[in-house]
Amino acid sequence: MFSIPILLVLVPALPLLAALLTAALGKKVLREQSHWPVVAGIGLSLLAALGLLAQVRAAVDHADSGQVGYEQVVRLWTWADVDGALESESPQPIGIATLDFTIEVALRADPLTAVMLVTVTLVSLLVAVYSIGYMHDDPGYWRFFAYIGLFVFSMTMLVSVSNFVMLYVFWEAVGLCSYLLIGFWFQKPAAAAAGKKAFLVNRIGDFGFALGVFLIWTTYGTLSFHDTLDATGLRTVGVLGQTRLADPSLYVGGGVATAICLLLLLGACGKSAQFPLHVWLPDAMEGPTPVSALIHAATMVTAGVYMIARCTPLFHASGEAFQAVAVVGGFTALLAAAIAVTQTDLKRILAYSTISQLGYMFLGLGAGTLLGITAGMFHLFTHAFFKALLFLGAGSVMHAMGGVIDIRRFGGLRHRLPTTHWTFLIGCLALAAFPGFSGFFSKDEILVALKENSLYGPAPSLYGILYLAASLTAFLTAFYTFRAFILTFYGPERIPPEAGDHAHESPRRMTVPLVVLAVFAAFVGAWFFFTHGFAEFLHHTPSLAYAGMAAAETETAAVHLKVMILSAAIGLAGIGFAWLLYVAWPKTADRLAAAMDALGLYGLSHGKFFIDQVYDLLVVWPLVGLARASSWFDRRVIDTVVDCIGLAPRGIGAMLRSLQSGMVQFYALAMVLGMLVLIVALLV
Amino acid sequence: MMAYELHLLTNYLIVGALLFGIGLIGFLSRRNMIVMFLSAEMMLQGVSISLVAWGRYFNDLDGQILVIFIITVAACEAALALALILMLFQRRGNLDIALWHDLRESNQPPYVDRELPETPPYASGPWPSLTPAGRRPDLPREETDYRSHV
Repeated sequence: MFSIPILLVLVPALPLLAALLTAALGKKVLREQSHWPVVAGIGLSLLAALGLLAQVRAAVDHADSGQVGYEQVVRLWTWADVDGALESESPQPIGIATLDFTIEVALRADPLTAVMLVTVTLVSLLVAVYSIGYMHDDPGYWRFFAYIGLFVFSMTMLVSVSNFVMLYVFWEAVGLCSYLLIGFWFQKPAAAAAGKKAFLVNRIGDFGFALGVFLIWTTYGTLSFHDTLDATGLRTVGVLGQTRLADPSLYVGGGVATAICLLLLLGACGKSAQFPLHVWLPDAMEGPTPVSALIHAATMVTAGVYMIARCTPLFHASGEAFQAVAVVGGFTALLAAAIAVTQTDLKRILAYSTISQLGYMFLGLGAGTLLGITAGMFHLFTHAFFKALLFLGAGSVMHAMGGVIDIRRFGGLRHRLPTTHWTFLIGCLALAAFPGFSGFFSKDEILVALKENSLYGPAPSLYGILYLAASLTAFLTAFYTFRAFILTFYGPERIPPEAGDHAHESPRRMTVPLVVLAVFAAFVGAWFFFTHGFAEFLHHTPSLAYAGMAAAETETAAVHLKVMILSAAIGLAGIGFAWLLYVAWPKTADRLAAAMDALGLYGLSHGKFFIDQVYDLLVVWPLVGLARASSWFDRRVIDTVVDCIGLAPRGIGAMLRSLQSGMVQFYALAMVLGMLVLIVALLV
Repeated sequence: MMAYELHLLTNYLIVGALLFGIGLIGFLSRRNMIVMFLSAEMMLQGVSISLVAWGRYFNDLDGQILVIFIITVAACEAALALALILMLFQRRGNLDIALWHDLRESNQPPYVDRELPETPPYASGPWPSLTPAGRRPDLPREETDYRSHV
């Protein structure tokens, strides 16, 4: 009915319109009904995204063979246009000496964008519906929905723009929404501090990203993804445009390429909470739980994964950059899983789990093969559902427990919260990679990609180690997931006093999104595994379909089956271990914890490897000290000097005041004396 | 010829300087406003004389033109100053300049060398009596203090 350009514009425009409407009318007019514009806007946006997906699917099948993959770029307007901005000797295929700096506001439709748009709008819609119940009676009700609408706009723009500058703009915009929503209850000091921390840590990553964009500009002389033809017929070859994709030799290799990729990776690490910059995500749990589900689990944190997938040709040009991605991802996955094992805050367990699963996605991307990248994107897709489900389930528990989220303080809730229990169980099974659930298939794909790289790839030992790390992470994931699940829903029923008479199942508008997400979490993986639809569709993304990619396909069914059996066994072992420790022999858990504590491992994990403390010591305290010293210097030294200068005229005036006696003769005498002085001065 | 002219100039300059000096000393030492005004006029005349003398010495008319200006200005000034003095006298009934030090700094105490007798306006007649100023000469009080008019 609608063509691709219209749908592509509608997807971000509707949430923006809803956000503006809510922001303008929410406080005075809409009040308790503030959710309607945003829910309606996101709902229509979802329909538009689904329509877009269908149209892109249809177009992919009929794409002409001359094109690399399938893309359609909708150029809206030109934001900036500077003629002859760069004197370039860079290897432009046309050999232009001066390059124009152009920022086009252009949206693109291709399989990757379509998939991301559907994921984002679908999860957003469910979370928005859930929020109607969860945020009920909050004084900032309208503000919450305005932020959510703004976020959905920014995120949909982020995945559909076709220019690095625009990508950066919306990269910052989702960061802003994240900041606003983490600090939503800004009266709470912890929430305000968490928002600030998220913003500042992201700033480091974004700085790297900005440098990466600068380097892309000086290297390639354009920031557009797509090729553009200007009025005179002069072709500018986009960074990820058809011309370059068809001829990979047009990509700059060597040190420059590696530098670009590492800077982009730094940006991705900030947004996607990977190792050196992961510290903000657990603290971000101070925000409302729907926010944790939407922004800090399902959508925004996957922006880094999307960006790397989009920039695949750049990473390929570097060669080693994918290994850096894989190492960062593997290390983060293992580290976060090891921390999650001993945490006691349900939301924080899920936060570390998110970091760990994002690490998994990075591992998939880091494999660098078509299989690995589609596996990473597939994991992003399934993770969005089951992690949003888990967070919303945790929110439902928190709602019933009167805001208590410490798993030591409640237990045996399966009778009180039946729907939450069943949906949470499905989320846990998906996260723990129980065979048949969505997480199993996506995680399995990543493991296969790693295994293949360790067998046939250029760095077999590295990927072998990463494969082992990923397997160990899978075991830990299954263990901590079911630890949290068993402690929350099984054992003797314990309800904290804060719950009051609230300890019942959440209202319908909260449980319905849970059920919908549970259905997705259960079946989406199997559906796409058996139809192969997801990977085949994504292969038509220009960045993944380009010529440099095709050679790397060596998938063998035998490897696949072996890995699948092994990962199923690992997942089951983790679940079984959790069952043994917390159900069968409940005393053993404490004993094991004590034994680990004796080795110092328990404290290390419980203290989150003291990374926050190390950062405090190395970065925060020196800077605070410098700030204090500067403040002292400003107050005491500079202000004193300024004050003295200000006081000097007053002091001199006080001295001269006694001369102003008002006596005429004295003034006359003073004039005469002054004249005498002048005469003497003239004569001498 | 030149020596005579120079001599003449010197004499006139001396007279001018004397007039100026007397006026200056009078202005500084007297407290009666009318006398102070006269002293100021005398200083002007001293300057005028020297200007005329210089004009003659250099044989041009600039000095004399300037003097005519001075006379004009002095006439205006006399009208203004006398009017002012009259106003001030009507306020305080006394011509002593020491009664007027209202323009001193607000936190400065008024300078009073001697308490002046409280004289209500026009109490001692339509004409003011001269206030003593400077060092009192050793003269018989009865004769010196009595002045029927200025």
